[in-house]
Amino acid sequence: MIRGDVSPRARDHFDWPLFIAAALIAVLGVVNLYSATSVYQGVRAELYISQIYWLVLGGILGGILVAIDYRHLERLGYAIYTFGVFSLILVFIFAKDLRGSKRWIEFGSFRFQPSEFMKVFLVIALAKFLHDDPRSEGRTLKDLLVPALLTGVPALLILKQPDLGTASIHVLVFLMIAALTRVRWKSVLTFVVTVACALPLIWNYVLLDYQKARVTVFMRPEDDILKTGWHAHHSRVAIGNGGLFGNGYMKGTQNQFNFLPDQFSDFPFPVFAEEWGFAGSVLLVLLYGFLCLWSIRIASLAKDRFGAVLSVGCGAILFWHAFINAGMVCGILPVVGVTLPLFSYGGSSVTTMLMCVALLMNVSMRRYSVVPAPDRL
Amino acid sequence: MKNLDPKRARWIRIRMGILCGMMGLGLGVIVSGAHRIQVEDGQDWYDLAERQRQRRLHVTPKRGTIYDRNGASLAESVEVPSISLDAVELLRGIEDRYLPMRIQQYGERIAQALNLPQEEVVDKISRRRRFVWLKRRVSEAEVAAVRALGEKNQRYPLRGLQIEGEGHRFYPNRELGGPLIGFVSPDGEGREGLELALDHELRGKSSEVRGLRDRSGRLIFSEGIEDEAALAGHNVYLTIDKGIQFTAERELEAAMKTYEATGGAVVVVDPSSGEILAMASAPGYNPNDYSVADPDARRNRCVVDRFEPGSTMKVFSIGTALAARSVNPTASIYCEEGNMAIDNVVIHDTHPAKYLSVTQILSLSSNIGTAKIALGLGEQRLYEGMRRFGFGDTTGIPFPGESMGVLRPRGRPWVSVETAAASFGQGISVTTLQLTMAMAAIANGGKLLEPVLIKRVTDGGGTMLSETQPRVRREAVSPTVAKLMSEMLVAVTEGEGTGVEAAIPGFRVAGKTGTAQKIDPATGRYTDTHYVASFAGFVPADKPRLVIAVVLDEPLGGTYGGGSVAAPVFRRIGEMALRYLGVTPRGSVPMKLSEVSDRAKVGDPATSTYQVLTEARAAVAPITAGVVTPSAPMKSGETRVPDLTGQPVREAIRAATAAGLTPTAFGTGRLSRVEPPAGTVLPKGSAVKLFFEPSS
Repeated sequence: MIRGDVSPRARDHFDWPLFIAAALIAVLGVVNLYSATSVYQGVRAELYISQIYWLVLGGILGGILVAIDYRHLERLGYAIYTFGVFSLILVFIFAKDLRGSKRWIEFGSFRFQPSEFMKVFLVIALAKFLHDDPRSEGRTLKDLLVPALLTGVPALLILKQPDLGTASIHVLVFLMIAALTRVRWKSVLTFVVTVACALPLIWNYVLLDYQKARVTVFMRPEDDILKTGWHAHHSRVAIGNGGLFGNGYMKGTQNQFNFLPDQFSDFPFPVFAEEWGFAGSVLLVLLYGFLCLWSIRIASLAKDRFGAVLSVGCGAILFWHAFINAGMVCGILPVVGVTLPLFSYGGSSVTTMLMCVALLMNVSMRRYSVVPAPDRL
Repeated sequence: MKNLDPKRARWIRIRMGILCGMMGLGLGVIVSGAHRIQVEDGQDWYDLAERQRQRRLHVTPKRGTIYDRNGASLAESVEVPSISLDAVELLRGIEDRYLPMRIQQYGERIAQALNLPQEEVVDKISRRRRFVWLKRRVSEAEVAAVRALGEKNQRYPLRGLQIEGEGHRFYPNRELGGPLIGFVSPDGEGREGLELALDHELRGKSSEVRGLRDRSGRLIFSEGIEDEAALAGHNVYLTIDKGIQFTAERELEAAMKTYEATGGAVVVVDPSSGEILAMASAPGYNPNDYSVADPDARRNRCVVDRFEPGSTMKVFSIGTALAARSVNPTASIYCEEGNMAIDNVVIHDTHPAKYLSVTQILSLSSNIGTAKIALGLGEQRLYEGMRRFGFGDTTGIPFPGESMGVLRPRGRPWVSVETAAASFGQGISVTTLQLTMAMAAIANGGKLLEPVLIKRVTDGGGTMLSETQPRVRREAVSPTVAKLMSEMLVAVTEGEGTGVEAAIPGFRVAGKTGTAQKIDPATGRYTDTHYVASFAGFVPADKPRLVIAVVLDEPLGGTYGGGSVAAPVFRRIGEMALRYLGVTPRGSVPMKLSEVSDRAKVGDPATSTYQVLTEARAAVAPITAGVVTPSAPMKSGETRVPDLTGQPVREAIRAATAAGLTPTAFGTGRLSRVEPPAGTVLPKGSAVKLFFEPSS
């Protein structure tokens, strides 16, 4: 029997601000999806219904995850991580090629993307590592080798799919967690210098042509509107068309005239920005900002080291997704396939993000020491 | 985290603060980026978006109407619904893997609605064009079916189907002036005749209009269309008089039947202005059904066909000789008793004689006399004289495919025998129009006029754009010579003259007959069996109002002479036309209607024509359909909607127009319903809607 399940006290500590912010984003996402896909005929026009199904499914999954004390995860940390890496290897064996990359595993009509879940598994593994290594003196690079390897293995596997966006998120999440620990100044310096030297090598030997092209185009966006810059250009046209207060719901002409590509998965933000204007953009960014800062607050109040790192990691996932997606549609960052958390359509994406929220909730609800650490199973 | 020593806790708090700062900064950058795009540069992006979603659309304006000189419509455009497809719009938003399936499904549904073969529709969809006609001139039921396909309350409403009112060309007078007016192809391009010649004027400005498409693919104009009247095609008023044209065609047709001719041409010209009052070419055709017409019948023989004129040409040979004073008008010429050899060719006369005056040479149509005068004139001066009368050159008529005729077929000056032959119209070729204009020059005192076919052009709003003025090309002969020729030509239609059949009671008629042997294309020699019979003349001789040229090709009914075949046609047309113009014989009173009916009893073939003419003059076209039995008294200026149920489209439109109504047709097939219903009394000019349904 598992003790310390959702007790009456824990239920009293339900984190309403977290829940409301996440729910608000999800609802806005469905409403926006309805408008975004209204240009389609047939199956795609009903994507918003699938999205509701996914949200319900992810909600149930999240509910279960909240019910289980997160400290059980600490013990299972490496096992979960290994499962994730294993599924990434399976992708290479079974996945079907879709638009030049292998990202999905199919079970009949059901399709999921292991790289999405891997982010959460990595955060759990890193939290586990730092929890087990509670040193107080500054760490050297050598001390960070194990977590770096933990990050590097899935990141490289995902980069080979190829999926630059998701791979980068793994690295960025790791860096954010590392920033939380105490690292020697000398080591930070060495790291920065090494990265500076490594970048040209990565450019030449790791990145694929289309990925390089995206970066080049990002540097000089007006060079190549018709080919690589198409997405970035049209998303900016749509956002700009929104103006201060937008064209109104269902009235975004750029979307309705089908100028926007992938408006349901990677580019829902321009649809929203076009219809709700700058006011809508600010609202959405504020909601994400709140989620991110709230996750740091949860971390600072967490009962133990594992919970704190877990919260920061989940917050980092939400932050980087939101930042990269919104950044690329605004032309601040190059175009990479990264979804807008809880807002974009996609089963794997929605489920992953709801898992993050559930983990944050989990840590937040158990921040008081009333409930003792669970025994080993 | 709790339970830590304060120093470490503070450090951790600082690092968390830094993290918060980084995140805040990152999202701040996003907000500033959005601010730049949406607020600072918002207008630029907005303009860019505006340009992207705008579509340039070509609006085809209504084609102008062709009227006769009195404003009776000869060709007009009627709006008939047609269905077009924007295939890109239809397939928008369908995932690639479903495309083939959807194309089949949509193709089937559209094919069913429009009664088209499914493969054809599927093919049109597959080409993914932004505009393609699916079916033109559709019925009311088909329009309703297409509307139903686009209804929003179904799972897959079809987009991109458009119902457009397409201008369909309609010729209310059917065969009248068919070869002259020509026709328009379904895409609105003038193909033959005046429709082709005046295509630019009639078509109007096809203007670009910027518009938006809303989500259902419908068009929203972002800026108002310019004044539609300004865009519409120009209206053209011809010099043709519907009444005279009708008579000319009818008489030509009758003569063709009687004499089993293969073709014929009649041109009627006002000699004072050069205005063409009628231009008839037989056999004709109905431009409403041009696709089933024999291409041979679509040719306007008056302008396009050249023929050897024969004796009619003597007028201009002798006229030239008189002008050059190479022959004295009072001279008497020895005519060799019917046979004369030039080089090794023998020329014959049909009326052998010893001495003939110049007038007699014309009235008896002596080849020998004319040849002698021509040889006295000389090759060069004869050729130049004919050129001055406009032969061997274009007339300046704006009509496609005009023939110039050939004076020197071998490209060199004539030898003696050729000069002699040319003087009586053999070995050269002319067009009916050239012959008419040359005869008009004699009639009006020697001035060769440019033929005028377009009286004036107005824009869609009725404002006059241009009006054609008479234009003298040159003086062919002096007024004295012209007057002298007129007097001599009167002799042709009097007494023993060859053209007595052309004489119109109460008028002095000047003219000349012509009977030319045709060259058998197989042997290259003149035949004794195939002739071109012609008569060209004017009336009244002293103060000419009408010049009429009649040409009949290969009359076979035993008689083939211009005097017996073509001259009566001249008489009938001339008689009717003079009456129609209100020209009365000197010293007589205008013919009363009672007299006309008396004549009808005698059975004069011209009488029926006269009645038609009287009707035409009242601006009422002959009505074959829709006889109304008045049951209530009508005031003048009012008309009753005729009962036209079951009539085909064209008959119904024509009958409704004739009843003084302005009909608009919907659908195809037979008339099923009229709005307002038949029997309703309306002011003349009122609009009526005619609904047609296919008879099944």
